[in-house]
Amino acid sequence: MIKITNLQKYYRTEEVETVALNNVNIHVKEGEFVAVMGPSGCGKSTLLNIVGLLDDLDEGSYLFNGTEVAKFKEGNRSNLRKHNIGFVFQSFNLIDELTVFENVELPLVYTNVPAAERKRRVEEVLEKVQIMHRRNHFPQQLSGGQQQRVAVARAVVNNPKLILADEPTGNLDSSNGNEVMHLLTELNEAGTTIVMVTHSEHDAKFADRVIRMLDGQVIMETSTV
Amino acid sequence: MKKKFYTAIHILGLSISLAASILIILWVQDERSFDKFHPDYERIYKVNSHLDPKNNGSIWGTSPGPVVNYAHTSRDVEFATRFSEDWNVTLVNDEKKHKVTGLKVGYGDSTFFDIFHFPLRAGSLTGFQTNYTHTLITESTAEKLFGSQDVIGKTFRWDDDLFFVSGILEDVPHNSSLQFDIMIPLGYLAKIFGGNGKWKTIDEDLGSYRFATYIKAKPNSSPDAISKVISDAFSKARDGETSTVFVLDPIKTMHLITPDGNKSSLRTVQIFSIIAILLLVIGAVNYVNLSTARALDRAKEVGIRKVIGASRTKLFFQFVIETIVVFCISLIIAFVLIFALQSGYSQIAQKSLSYSLYNSSMWLYIGLAIFGTLSLSSIYPAIQLSAFRPIESLKGKSLKQLTSNSIRKILVVFQFTISITLIVCTLVIKNQLTYIQQINLGYDKDHVLTLGLPDEAYKHIDAIRDELKSNSAIQGVSVTGVWNLTDYFHSTGDIDWPGKSKDNKLIVSQATIDQDFIPLMDIQLLEGKNFSGLPADSSGYIINETLAKQMGLTPPYVGASMSFHDIPGQIIGVVQDFHFKSVKEQIGPMVFWTRWGAGTLYVKTTTDQAQQAIKALETIYNRYPSDVPFSYTFIDEQFDNLYKTEQRTGLLFNIFSGIAIFISALGLFALATHEAQTRVKEIGIRKVLGASVFGVVKLLGKNFIVLVCIAILIACPAALYLMNQWLGNFAYKTDLSIWTFVAGSVIAIGIAMITISYQAIRAARANPVDSLRDE
Repeated sequence: MIKITNLQKYYRTEEVETVALNNVNIHVKEGEFVAVMGPSGCGKSTLLNIVGLLDDLDEGSYLFNGTEVAKFKEGNRSNLRKHNIGFVFQSFNLIDELTVFENVELPLVYTNVPAAERKRRVEEVLEKVQIMHRRNHFPQQLSGGQQQRVAVARAVVNNPKLILADEPTGNLDSSNGNEVMHLLTELNEAGTTIVMVTHSEHDAKFADRVIRMLDGQVIMETSTV
Repeated sequence: MKKKFYTAIHILGLSISLAASILIILWVQDERSFDKFHPDYERIYKVNSHLDPKNNGSIWGTSPGPVVNYAHTSRDVEFATRFSEDWNVTLVNDEKKHKVTGLKVGYGDSTFFDIFHFPLRAGSLTGFQTNYTHTLITESTAEKLFGSQDVIGKTFRWDDDLFFVSGILEDVPHNSSLQFDIMIPLGYLAKIFGGNGKWKTIDEDLGSYRFATYIKAKPNSSPDAISKVISDAFSKARDGETSTVFVLDPIKTMHLITPDGNKSSLRTVQIFSIIAILLLVIGAVNYVNLSTARALDRAKEVGIRKVIGASRTKLFFQFVIETIVVFCISLIIAFVLIFALQSGYSQIAQKSLSYSLYNSSMWLYIGLAIFGTLSLSSIYPAIQLSAFRPIESLKGKSLKQLTSNSIRKILVVFQFTISITLIVCTLVIKNQLTYIQQINLGYDKDHVLTLGLPDEAYKHIDAIRDELKSNSAIQGVSVTGVWNLTDYFHSTGDIDWPGKSKDNKLIVSQATIDQDFIPLMDIQLLEGKNFSGLPADSSGYIINETLAKQMGLTPPYVGASMSFHDIPGQIIGVVQDFHFKSVKEQIGPMVFWTRWGAGTLYVKTTTDQAQQAIKALETIYNRYPSDVPFSYTFIDEQFDNLYKTEQRTGLLFNIFSGIAIFISALGLFALATHEAQTRVKEIGIRKVLGASVFGVVKLLGKNFIVLVCIAILIACPAALYLMNQWLGNFAYKTDLSIWTFVAGSVIAIGIAMITISYQAIRAARANPVDSLRDE
């Protein structure tokens, strides 16, 4: 599903050019659950952003489902993104002014799903993450674990083929963290490809494969299965 | 960096609004200061003549000569004087063979300086009060005419008369309604008066309303009692055969209210005063809006300060002092702006404004303005900011209370209401000015120039006419008594016709013309024929439609009898109505006849041949001796002069609405910037989830556009009301079209959208990765 070859990514300031990612090659098959690990600043989040088409790469090739997307314009990227990729962030990134229901509904609004269909799908996914009873609450009225479940619901409501999770349990206590990891595992078992950046060895064990990075390079790949 | 940006916007908005309002206030102050430099100005009145008040007759600012003597008989009157003037006079200093043109001559009775305060610099008033050839001249006239100030006893010539300088006056201040360069005793006019029928002297002449009569009342006297004494005496002198009543008009309002009670100048001054205040308020509103918006960012600072022990009072003063500093900087920039704009502004305002840092009343206004703005713009935000609870503001909770703060929204609505009102007013004024420019005047004013000839030339006028007519550059020539066709005042009640009722006090305009005038001006003859140039013309009258109707005649009008100044004759033609006064006034009744003297030459030429025609005229002019240099005016220019006030109002409205919308847009820009900054994370999330750039712009713009729409709803009725009032000054006016309001609204929305979208597009195009980074 994802085939990245010879990826180079630089960050430029006025004086210095830092290599963020250096000659990275990654291949993720459909239905896989991959964890990306490494110390802070090793480039794993940058990699995730590139995979999620939020950031562009400077050199190299990126095949998404066989299509070269490295040179895609913003419009095409946005289009591809909203139909195929769901995101889960460490800090949840829910919109404070919107209710749980409205937050989850948002991706469907942007893909022009009719209102009735939206309602059905949002309710279905809220049931699935067991937060239906809080549908009219605002994010700040929920606990961290509940907020992350809403975020996961939002990520999957469009039935994306790929979920990108950036430290999904980073802001959660262990029991809430586990809940979220089980949720992701369930989704993976149902066929969704997942790429997750994490610091936690415990969380990494939920993945099929672990990619370890250091200073912008992939240094090791291990299978956990 | 952020802080600098907001401070810059604060200062820019405040200094522009301060500068604009101070400039307007200076103008207003100047307009209101007219004629108030005379001591006891509260007791000085002008005697206005109300002709036939029962039938809504006109009110004139002039009165017959004897009125001054009637006034003296009232025990409530301390002094009374007459005043008259001659403009564009040429005086000659024979000693130096030097002449000065374009001077204003004033005539006054010996009591003139007992009422009015025009300080004497040198010489004495005695000559002026006793001998009609002894004059007073102003300092700059002395300089112009003699090249020195030491001129007491020197002589100058006006036409054939010799005058002495017996005193030098300070220059007449510009804010005086009475303007003159030379003051000649009124006795001179009495001497050259040729009589008016049975009345042989100006002190007997009850027929011509040619003087402005001023009186100074005794303290605590009643103006009504004085006007009754004058009216009664006049009525008695006319054996009861008059309906004219005299009313006293205080000179303190004389500049802004015309004798007939037209307050349009006063309105303009009032409107501008309001605009000055509104501009200041708009600037202050920006400050309030931005301060409260910035409070979001500052809440944390306040929280920390409170945690480390700052009291509410201390914080309150911190914010007030910050405001005062910003305000002082703005004031300095405003002064710089005023200095920079002063000359341009004086030109627009058509007066040299007495702007000086020593002007105490200006400081009073500025002080009031600053106090008002300061209270509005600092105390409110300061109370709000200092009231934050530390824990909540550290957690970011008070942010929410402030974001939803509806006061800010109300203030934005307020600003835009003012801006849109001004924009719509500007558009209406522009429409009316265009309407005036394009109105069918009933004659063709293009390429016609007018001029007066030296007295000697009129003895050979037929030869001159023929000579000019044979010039290929000249299409037509006419000699008439109409000195200015666009604004012609010469009227009489001396008209009679069979069947005229006894209490009919019809006043008609009268003009002496020749057979060439009507075709030259392309005035349409509806019925009958033009004058022929033959002696038979002397018993013929050509009238306009309005007069025909007001006389109650039935068509055909030609052949009907009428007498004019007791000369019986017949109507030989009727012309279509044409505008011989400002379009502010209804077209009145008009009589053309051929009998009286005609001194104005009308010459029709073409664009290409105008120079050639002017040259021919100059050659003829210079053949005859005259102190007055050759000069001419195109009717086009006279027409433009007539509407100068309106043009100026239009221009000022353009500027004011420009400033208002600019300051409002500045505020909106800062608010939009702030909105984009506070919602940067949300925008990032939405973009990750698939929102388009347009979607984000819409999201950010929506709220502001709603506010502007509310402003439109309030502004349109306000503008409608104001402009109905303003257009009420015009007898002929454009319709208030819905499209003007639509256009005004579209402009406002457009400006708001442009303002917002810059920030919105920037926010929408930003890489969401930057805003969503957790670190």
